[in-house]
Amino acid sequence: MDMHRAFARRGSKAKWWVLIAIVVLAIAPFILSEFYLSILCEALVMSLLALSFNMLFGYMGQLSFGQAAFYGMGGYTVALLITKLHFNFWLSLLAAVAVAGLLGGIIGFFCVRLRGIYFSILTLAFGQLLFFIVYKWHDFTGGDDGIQGVFPPDYLKSPVIYYFFILLVFLGVVFLLWRLVNSPFGKIMQGMRDNAVRTEFLGINIARYQLIAFVIAAAIAGLAGAVWVPFYRSVAPFYLMWIKSGEPVMASIMGGPATFFGPILGMFIMTFFHAWILGFTHFWPVIMGALILVVIFFLPGGILGFAQGRMTNRRKKGPPSKG
Amino acid sequence: MSLDVLFNQFMSGIARGALLFLVASGLSLTFGVLRVLNFAHGSLYMLGAFLSYSIWKHLLIPVVGFYVATIIAALLIAAIGLVIELFLLRRLYSRGWPEQLLATYAVVLIITDAVKWGWGGEFLSIPRPKPFTGAVLLFDFPFPSYNFFIILLGLGLVVFLWWLVYRTRLGDIIRAAAHDREMVSALGIPIPWLFTWIFVLGSLIAGLSGAVSAPYGAIALGMDIDIIIECFAVVVIGGMGSLPGTLLGSFIVGQVYAFGIMIKPELALANIFIVMAVVLIIRPWGIFGKPER
Amino acid sequence: MFLQAENLVKEFGKLRAVAGVSLGVRKGDVHAIIGPNGAGKSTFFNLLTGYHTITEGRVLFKGAEITRLPSYKRCQLGLTRSFQITSIYPKLTVYESVLMALLAHRRMTLNFFASASRFCAEDVWRILEDIGLAEQAHVQGDSLSHGDKKRLELAITLGNEPELLLLDEPTCGMSPEETETTIQLINKLSQEKGLTILFTEHDMGVVFNIARRISVLHQGQLLADGPPEEVRSSAEVQKVYLGGAA
Repeated sequence: MDMHRAFARRGSKAKWWVLIAIVVLAIAPFILSEFYLSILCEALVMSLLALSFNMLFGYMGQLSFGQAAFYGMGGYTVALLITKLHFNFWLSLLAAVAVAGLLGGIIGFFCVRLRGIYFSILTLAFGQLLFFIVYKWHDFTGGDDGIQGVFPPDYLKSPVIYYFFILLVFLGVVFLLWRLVNSPFGKIMQGMRDNAVRTEFLGINIARYQLIAFVIAAAIAGLAGAVWVPFYRSVAPFYLMWIKSGEPVMASIMGGPATFFGPILGMFIMTFFHAWILGFTHFWPVIMGALILVVIFFLPGGILGFAQGRMTNRRKKGPPSKG
Repeated sequence: MSLDVLFNQFMSGIARGALLFLVASGLSLTFGVLRVLNFAHGSLYMLGAFLSYSIWKHLLIPVVGFYVATIIAALLIAAIGLVIELFLLRRLYSRGWPEQLLATYAVVLIITDAVKWGWGGEFLSIPRPKPFTGAVLLFDFPFPSYNFFIILLGLGLVVFLWWLVYRTRLGDIIRAAAHDREMVSALGIPIPWLFTWIFVLGSLIAGLSGAVSAPYGAIALGMDIDIIIECFAVVVIGGMGSLPGTLLGSFIVGQVYAFGIMIKPELALANIFIVMAVVLIIRPWGIFGKPER
Repeated sequence: MFLQAENLVKEFGKLRAVAGVSLGVRKGDVHAIIGPNGAGKSTFFNLLTGYHTITEGRVLFKGAEITRLPSYKRCQLGLTRSFQITSIYPKLTVYESVLMALLAHRRMTLNFFASASRFCAEDVWRILEDIGLAEQAHVQGDSLSHGDKKRLELAITLGNEPELLLLDEPTCGMSPEETETTIQLINKLSQEKGLTILFTEHDMGVVFNIARRISVLHQGQLLADGPPEEVRSSAEVQKVYLGGAA
């Protein structure tokens, strides 16, 4: 059938883009200076955070304003285990993901009882609660001093080698997430987004499925933080702050929340833009706010959403599309 | 625990609850009619506090200066609310709640940086204005008389809102619009202007509460997020979009905070979360709320 | 009785939308619930399916009590419904929507890795062909015509492999041709698949065409309950309701 061929054609075109991107990312450390390489590392790590956010927003229809809290907790777990208990690096990473997932389970348990804006503000509230606890608990977490001296094992100390480690983690998570959104669970997520009542009346316990998704998203965010902190060598409370949580929100909105790769695109743009902006001002929130408004009013659907809209206008009956 | 200590804490809780009601009522009113949860409500509150500080410092009028500054600040915030509604929210009523929430979230980001740019990151404070500078003895414990001012304002707002919502034509429209927006519009009542006025009223209340809160607590960055979370707790516990619910919720959160300070001051905020969590498990739509189905 | 409602009451504040209705649906029947506007038909449906909480009374399905069960559990037991205002997935294709229903019913949804399109393909196509939507399998939900959307919802409910199907005004807003197609479809589902069907309708032509049993609701109460001829000839029913379309 015609439609099948159209799908296959677009699928293979997307595959070429992905391949090119991987090749570019692979040779990047040999072209870029250390400064730009570290920004690229940040972009990759924050893209994971953005993907975790968009898993809940673009694919499930729930806006979480507290993803950075899981990111920060992942980072703090690794930092505490490595500096205070001299834990093995790999075990620390695992523990960080587990801690983030567990927190996601506890917080998510309450959040999934609510929908829409109530869910969103509750995620903000819990995020701030975690931030507050980390900030105040000076004896344990170092309070607003944060934790310094978090080092990866010797064989990962070189920035180039650690970059490849981050790249591998990034590609691995992207692959798993791609499978997830196309899996039966992913379809249910989209069903909950498009029509929660209909999905409920197919026999799905909405709260339970949303909780599972929430835990997975929290774990991914925690992994991102866990992987970043040994690279940056330190962690601070602001990683959990509501403003930090705004970054994956903005990146996903800007890149295109209805697509798989939109958040990654948005986050790459945002990270490099932020690095450039930091050169002359610390007033980042106002820029984020302004950009969010610009996207809402002038580029609804984000960059990739806009691009896709142009493409489908050229076809007769628009098929739905995912990245 | 002697009775006088308990009573003192209880009154502290009443004062805090009154202040919370001042803020939360604006949020509840806006939500009840517009069905938009104005994330930036806390930012307007914070801005009201900072603005009133600067105006007060500028005016240098003894005694009355504070009150004049409060009123001017509240009006300025109402004007800002007008701008937000006209240029941002109006274009978003036809879009979904995500866009509305994101837009108000963007405003929070913008205002938080605007305050940082305008006043720096320092804590500011205003001394309590005459005639509320001293303390009143409640069972031998000093209770700041300014707290009575806040409680009085809270009561005044309750009466005003009750009159507005149940005794005026505008109130009838408000209640009708909260129930069935399309019907009200079909009756020829211009919904856009209704929304604008309600939003401006809500902003006015936010700015007023911020200015009033200045001598009560500190004026600092982060006030916006802290208060919006507390307001949210009020609404979760008391019931969404219900004025009696907001009143009850404010009372409860105020008391939880006051007694939490007694037990372990650092965890006072966490106690509110515990109460919120309990309500969410037992009765997710709040005490005075109605289940969605 | 396959489905039994015992003295169901639903109060919205002071309004008694359903005021003590007892009725039973026999297995394999095509059972219609009719009544003037505001009679409480949709509310009654909502009580049976768990959309509203029950104020008083009981519901039993296949002999077991489901009164306090949440909606999703009732669906898992085999009780599926369609909505008066068509409830489909606007952004998913016809194929994906039916697939989702099958995956949900067969408890295959906790699969996080395999590609969803690999599963249940034969069953999806079978349902699409039965309903007549096979040619539009890859069309997005919101691109369909109103009548096709209603058929899609029917296909989705079939994907849930129900034993008892509740249809809320299945021909609402349909053209005469579409209505005729739907009538034949319901007949086919009842006769060939042995589905028990309970439906509400305003179109008396549809009702007397396919219903084997009719219950009449009026102001939240059961006015008549029996085979079509009995209901048609009941004086009470005629007085209250059957003004002309029969």
